[in-house]
Formats: sequence, structure tokens, C-alpha cells
Amino acid sequence: MRRITAFHWSIVTAACLAMFLLSPLVLSRYLVFILNLLAIYALVSIGLNFVTGYTGQISVGHAGFLALGAYFTAIVATKAPYLPFYVILPMAGCFAGLIGFLLGIPILRLRGFYIAMATLAFGVVISQIALEWRGLTHGDEGFKVTSAFIGSFVFDSDKKLFYLVQPFAIVLILAAHNIVSTRVGRAFVAVRDSENVAQTLGINLSWSKTSAFALSAFYAGFAGGLFAYVVSHITPDSFSLTISIDFIAMIVIGGMGSILGSIIGAVILTGIQQLLGSLPEIQMLIFGVSLIIFMIFMPRGISGVISSLATATRAGKRLSSEQEAGEKGA
Amino acid sequence: MLIHVVISGIATGCIYSLMALGLTLIYKATEHVNFAQGDMAMLSGFVAFTFFEWLKLPLPLVFCLTLLFSIGLGLAMEFLLVKPAIRGPHFNVFIITLGASIVLQSASGLIWSHDQFPFPSLFPDKNLVLGPVQTDAGSVGIIATTLVLMLILFLFFKYTKVGTSLRAVSQSHRAALLMGVSVRRSFALAWAISGLVSGIAAFLIAPVVFLSTQMGLVVINGFAAAIMGGWGSFPGAVIGGISLGVLENVAPYYFPPQIKGIIPFAVLVGVLVIRPTGIMGEKRQRRV
Amino acid sequence: MKMTWKRAVVGVFLFLVLFWIETSAAAEVGVTSDSVVVGCSNSFSGPLAFCGTEMVKHGIEIYFRQINEQGGINGRKLIMKSYDDAYDPTRAVANTKRLVEEDKVFCILEPQGSSPVAATLDLEKQKVPLLFPFQGLPLPGRTVFTATTSYPRDAEIVIDWLVKTKGFKRIGMIYQDDQYGSAYLDTALKKLKGTGMELAAQESVKRGALDLSAQMVKLKQADLDVLWIVLVPGPGAMVLKEAKKEGWTKTKLLATGPLTDEKFIILSAGEGEGVWGFSVWPDPVHSQKPGVVEYRNLLQKYVPGHEPNRYSIFGYFFAKLFVEGLKGTGKDVTRGKLVEALEGIKNWRNDIILPVSFSKENHAAQESGFMVEVRKNVFQPISGWQSEKDGKLVESPLGE
Repeated sequence: MRRITAFHWSIVTAACLAMFLLSPLVLSRYLVFILNLLAIYALVSIGLNFVTGYTGQISVGHAGFLALGAYFTAIVATKAPYLPFYVILPMAGCFAGLIGFLLGIPILRLRGFYIAMATLAFGVVISQIALEWRGLTHGDEGFKVTSAFIGSFVFDSDKKLFYLVQPFAIVLILAAHNIVSTRVGRAFVAVRDSENVAQTLGINLSWSKTSAFALSAFYAGFAGGLFAYVVSHITPDSFSLTISIDFIAMIVIGGMGSILGSIIGAVILTGIQQLLGSLPEIQMLIFGVSLIIFMIFMPRGISGVISSLATATRAGKRLSSEQEAGEKGA
Repeated sequence: MLIHVVISGIATGCIYSLMALGLTLIYKATEHVNFAQGDMAMLSGFVAFTFFEWLKLPLPLVFCLTLLFSIGLGLAMEFLLVKPAIRGPHFNVFIITLGASIVLQSASGLIWSHDQFPFPSLFPDKNLVLGPVQTDAGSVGIIATTLVLMLILFLFFKYTKVGTSLRAVSQSHRAALLMGVSVRRSFALAWAISGLVSGIAAFLIAPVVFLSTQMGLVVINGFAAAIMGGWGSFPGAVIGGISLGVLENVAPYYFPPQIKGIIPFAVLVGVLVIRPTGIMGEKRQRRV
Repeated sequence: MKMTWKRAVVGVFLFLVLFWIETSAAAEVGVTSDSVVVGCSNSFSGPLAFCGTEMVKHGIEIYFRQINEQGGINGRKLIMKSYDDAYDPTRAVANTKRLVEEDKVFCILEPQGSSPVAATLDLEKQKVPLLFPFQGLPLPGRTVFTATTSYPRDAEIVIDWLVKTKGFKRIGMIYQDDQYGSAYLDTALKKLKGTGMELAAQESVKRGALDLSAQMVKLKQADLDVLWIVLVPGPGAMVLKEAKKEGWTKTKLLATGPLTDEKFIILSAGEGEGVWGFSVWPDPVHSQKPGVVEYRNLLQKYVPGHEPNRYSIFGYFFAKLFVEGLKGTGKDVTRGKLVEALEGIKNWRNDIILPVSFSKENHAAQESGFMVEVRKNVFQPISGWQSEKDGKLVESPLGE
């Protein structure tokens, strides 16, 4: 039997990528919209994973950073309409990241549970400000976001927005993958597993934790900017505590400490919501039960299951090839 | 007139304290955080509602039956949700209780609908005048019951043998086992008492905020209360709750409408930053 | 790690295949020879789940069921598709796109909530009619038709009634700190300014607040003739209880249209006596108007034992109004013809509310209400239907 080589895998990857990038041509606007939302949620999820999965701190207020990025983008796009989106979006991310950094300094020296409460309070405060500061955010009347543009080309439909959102998402996902593979990422993991050991290894604890938090805020903020363009009409109700909880569910189900897990979690959660939408009464019930079942039986999430299977298969293959070699030799 | 507002704030604050007491209890005994504390109260409230609205039973009987249910609920939750995850990190149990909270809300919605219902108060509907202060029997009842509950829990944990063993278990499972204390039984007991507390809380909270599947959301204020007053302390839970309630009530007096909504949460963040152990918090040594 | 990426690639591949399959199974436009499909995104969980469930399941669907059992409209059965958005505007947008592009609904019927509905208003661009959303803001749009009396209209009528008919001078308001509250606040202030008056006092309440004693204490000090309550039933009932606690005697309490609902009175457990309200519906439980009786009978037939309420009657009534428009399109049903048919409705007698008329300029089904007072825990009418004509208050008989 011919072996499946890396070359074959590259072909498949290229084909998938091509299919993915061409999908707006075949899919309905609704499905493209969902794909855009998925990319955004995946980015927030990845960001949340930096804090929770990799560094072991819990943030129950990430919708707050999403809101910061979204409103920043909406406001700047209106007040400075000459600025193109590829300037505004990184700015939105940095703005959220800065707030995350400032918030992180005092909070991150507390213990895990207190961080959860502080971030929860933060999320609530942000959505309350969004509601009350009517002059800036238009409160719950909602803020209509000026569409993104390049020159005279305006991204005013879901299909056009696909080509704005996905490239950024892909770049940020690859960046995240790089980050966790480097020393920085390994430092995060060391901090999660044991803070004292990490310190003996020469890792600066507070710098690690704060930068992980700021990084996750950046991702959520950037995603927030994309969110503003995609939804095009933002209200404080889109950034409630329920949404923050949804993000936690994503990384729990998908698998903490794994970029792939973040994406899987985002896909599954959004999938459940859309598939069960016509059975609204039991949708929440199933969601809650899933959360419980996952934490009891699959605490490492789906990506955890996948890598266990991979390890098992590899071990199995090695075992069988050793057996073969053994039989031949005997 | 300000006194009236303060007293009303104390009564509302006691609602938060009731939640905080339950949270503190579970934490002291198991080191777990129970996000579903409020929804346990909500379910107990609905069960009580079924007893007196559909079965037309007298209120004192309803009270006793409901508390029996609440204790059972606590035990059931410990058995189904905590026991399977007992060896994992505490974060897991927190998420499990989050899931439980969602399940309780949607299941209750399916059984009783998401409508709001009035709930009878245990206390007579009378205005009271105590010296210069004008208040009502309901508020006094809530405050008194909360204080008594706090006292009972505090004394139980500090001075009784059972209470001390519960604390020992949470500090170290191994040491407790060496002393012949069953970890499983301790956990079950803690959750049973917590269930009881949530049942009592239901009878005090539901008349004020009305019975609905959303009633459990007060647990969030309960968290804030417990942290402000000092996480892990029963008197702290009550002090924190009362402070929060009074703060929320007095803020509209002095702050413009736009800001008053965030005052409580902003203060919470402030407390966490300046004095994370809260007003009465205990300093616990971290295990390496 | 590399192995996991490979598996990821396979996963994405399968996922996309699924998407493509789903697309090719898409259906026709919302009208076929034997059916008309309509839909909405609504709250079936979360804070407004009760309203959503009542208006869709026990309102629209029971009416459609009756119509279908009688053979449908011009031989077409009516189908209602609905999805839950839990009051989250993002999900409302996703659901609405799904209804329009996947389910290919003919029109959107009775979604709920100012936030979610506002987020979906670009349907206008696609010419999908948005009919009778359950919310209170006036909405623009050639293909948009609104339902019950809007908040600003409610506020105008009530201000006129308080100032001109009742002669009150000191009017105070306690309002929710969102669009619902500010719609009443802003309209009231504007209208009062016109007569050289102002609000004597105003206090805002956070959504979900548990205690309003501070606001009530301040309002009591303002020595008001009437306190206008612009809240939802929970906090509204708390206002009544707090008023009793603080010993309010002189001030009349007045509920807005959305608040004038039996639930508000039930929750206050007996403190509702004498409270005024602005009612846009006759009492769904007690009214003997033929239209209301018909609604009750239908509810009993399909959902026996279920209490009539203002949400299910809303669902029922506006489903009926939609069908009235549908009938007007005849055999050849198109969206454009539906809009024209609706605009052509003049003085539609329905025996529930005032006769409904639409026109090219007026897409609001209702712009009136009647004043009620709580007596023995029931809202009793204390005036006829009030509406505004050329800035003046006009009364029409109730016709009970």
C-alpha cells in the first residue's frame, strides 16, 4: 500500500483552503455570515485560551474586551472616516490589549477565583458603560457601523466581508500558533502548571501572566472590531455575561491549552445554537448538560480526545511494527 | 428618610448575603465554588410554589417539605456533579456547576414556564415603626433570619466537632483520611447544608424579587458580597452583602444616574485590588 | 502536534462538505401552490421567554392552525418557523438571515425586542416585509408595519390626558435606563415644554434592579400629583410595594402601555388598587367584546386550561391582521402585493381594538389606548379610546 506522504497532505490542505476561500460563491449569505461569526468567535476563544488554557487564570469577562474592540472600531470609523479598516482594526486590538494590560497588573497577583470575579465585574462594568454613555455609544439604540472600504470598494455585504474577516483570522491564528510554540508560549504553560517551579526556571511570573492577559485582550479586541463590521449594528446586549460564558464553554468543550481546541469549541457551540434553534426550549438544556458531561468525562475537551487518539494510534503502530520485526527476527 | 433607604439596602443586602453564605459554606468545606447556588434556591422556590399553589398546602407545611427537598437537592447535586470530578482541578467543578445552573434554569422553564410569579412571605405584611425608623416586618424578618443563619453557621464551623472536621477535610484530604474522617461523607454533608441554606434563602428572596427562572442570577451579587466581605468567612459574607446592598441604595442619592449602575461593581474591583482578602478575609497559605 | 493539524484539515474538509450539501437542498421562495411560510426570531429563553412563547406558540400558531383546518388561504396552508435568540441581537441577526436565505420565508412576522429588531432592519434592503414586531419604537421602511401603539405615541396621549383632561401640575417619572425609558422621558419632556411645563421629578432605575427605595424616597419628596411608572412588571410591582411601605397617599400611580398588564398587578399582591394604566388591549380574560371572546374560545380549543394574556392575544391579533393582508393579494401572492394589500386596509373592524387602517404614509396598526384603573385587582376602563388628532386628544367610545 502506498504510504500517505506529506505531499498528499499538502494537496488536501491546499484543496480545503481553496474550497474554503471560494465558498462565498456557493453558500448563502446566511452561511457566510455564520462563517464570519465563527472566525470571530474562534479568535476570542484563542485569546481566552492564552489566559485560561495556557496560563491557568480564568476570565469570565471577555465579552468586555470584545465590546471595547467593537465600540472602538465603530466610533473611530465614524469620527475618522478616512482611516482604512486595516489601520483601525489593529488599533482596536491594541486599545483592548492596553486595557487588558492595565487591568491585569493589579488583578493577576490574586488567586484564580478572585481573577474570575474581577473579570466578571469588569465585563459587567463595560456593558453597563456601553449602555449608559449614550453620547459615545448610542446606548441600546445601537451604533450603526460605517462599512469598511478599500479605495472605492465597500465591504457592504456578508460575502464581501468574508474576504475581510477570514484573511485576518487566518493570519492571527497562525500567529497564535507561533506564539505558543516559542519560548513565550512555553513560559505560559510553565506558569500554569506550577508557579513556583516557573519562577525557579527564571520566568518572570507577573510579566508572563500580564502579557498573556494583554495578548488575550488584544485578540478579543481585534475580533471585536471584525464583529462590528460583520454585524454592522452593535448594541450593549451583544456583550452580556451570557456571551462571556459562551466563550468559556467554547474553550472547555474544544479543549483548553490548544489553538485547535479553541476553533473546535467555537464551531461546536455555534453549531449547537444554529442546529437546535428550532427546538428553543431544549437548546439551553442540551447546552448545560453538554458542559457538565464534557467537564466530567472529557475535561481536556475534544482536542484532548483527538490528541489522546493520536498518541494511542502512534503507540499502537509502533507496537505492531515492533511485533512484526520481532516475529521476523525470531 | 435616608434611614429608610439604608434599612432597605440592608434588607436587600441580606439577600446577597444569603447567597454568599451558601457559597462560603461550600468553599470552606470543599474548596469548590458553586455557581448554581442561586438556581438551587430558584428550584426550591418553584417546588414550594407547586406545593402551595397547585396542592394548596398550608404555608408552614410547605416550608418544611421544601426544606426537605432542598437538602435532597444538595445531596443529589453533590453525588451527580461533584463526586465524578472530585479528583480534578477545582476549575472543573466550577464549570460543572455553571452547566448545572443552565440546566436548572431551562428545566424549570420547561416545567413551570419562564413567567414571573408572586411568592408569599413568611412574615406579616405590616409596617413597623422602631423609634425614628420606619420599616416593615418583611425587611426585619429577612435581616434577622440572615443574622441568625450566619451565627449558626459560624459557630458550627468554628466550635463543633463536625464543623471542624469539615474544615479539616477541605485543607487536606489525606490528613483527614488519616484521622478517620470520610471525605465523601463530608462533602455530602456540606452540600446538604448548602441545599438547606438555599431553601431558606428561597423563602426570603422570592417574595421580594418574585419567583422566576431568572431568580438565580442573584448569585452573582452573592459572589461580589462574599469577596467584598472576605471570601471564606461567614460574618464576612454578611458584612459584604449588607455593604453591597447599602452601597447600591445610597449611590443614586449622590451619583448621577449614568454612573450609579456601575458603582457596586467598580467598588468590587477596587476592593479586589486594594485588599483582596476583603474586609474579614482569612489569609490562607498557598500550597506549593 | 503535526498529526493534530492533519486531523484538523480532514475535519475542516468534512465540515465544508456538509455546508455545501446543506446549500444545495435549499427550498423555493416562501410561497408555493399549497403553502405560505413566514417566520421570526424571538425570545424562547432568557428574560423575555414568556412573552415570546406566548405570542408565537399560543398566538400565531393557534390562529394559523384554525386557518389551516379550514383549508388555508386560497388553498395555501400557513406555516410558521421560529428560532430562539434569547434577546441577543447577534443571534437575532443570524436567525433572521437564516429565515430569509435558507428557509426563504415570505415575510418576517412578530419578532420581539427593540434591540434584536433594530439589528435586523436591513431586511428593508432585501424587500422582505417586517410585520408587527413586538416592540414600541416607531420604525421606518416601505415594507415595515408596526403593531401596538408606540412608546412616543403612548407618552403623548398620556401627557395630554394628565395635563388637559385631569389638570395635573406636578408629574414625576420613574423610568428604566434604556430606550424604553428614554422614549417616554424624551417625549414627555418635549410635550410638556410645549405647554411651558416640566417634569417635577425623574428617577432612573437600572434593568434588573432589586431595590428602588432610594429613587422612591426622592420622588416622594417631590410631592407629586402623579408618578408615571416606565418599567417592566417586576420593578413596576416593586414600586407599588415600596409606595405602600413609604406611606404614599396623595400621589396617583400610572403605568405605561407595556406595563399595563395583569402580571404587574398580580406580582404586587394586592397593592394595585387605584393604579392607573394605559391599556392597548381590552381585558383578555374578562372582556366580552366578540373578537376577544373568539380569541379565548380558540385558545381553549387548542390549549385547554391556558390563561389568556396580552401576549398571546397580540400574537393572535396580528396573525389575523397579516392574514387579512394576505387575503387581499388574491391568488397570485407576492411581497409587493402584500404591502399594497395591507396599505389598502381601511377601517378593518376586528372587535378587539379600534378599526385598523393603513395607508402609504401610515404603517402603524394602532395609535390609541384607553385609560384604566385597577379595581378589585382588575383593570377597569375609565375612559374611551384616546388618540391624537392634530395635536389634540380625541375620544372614541369603547364599545364593550
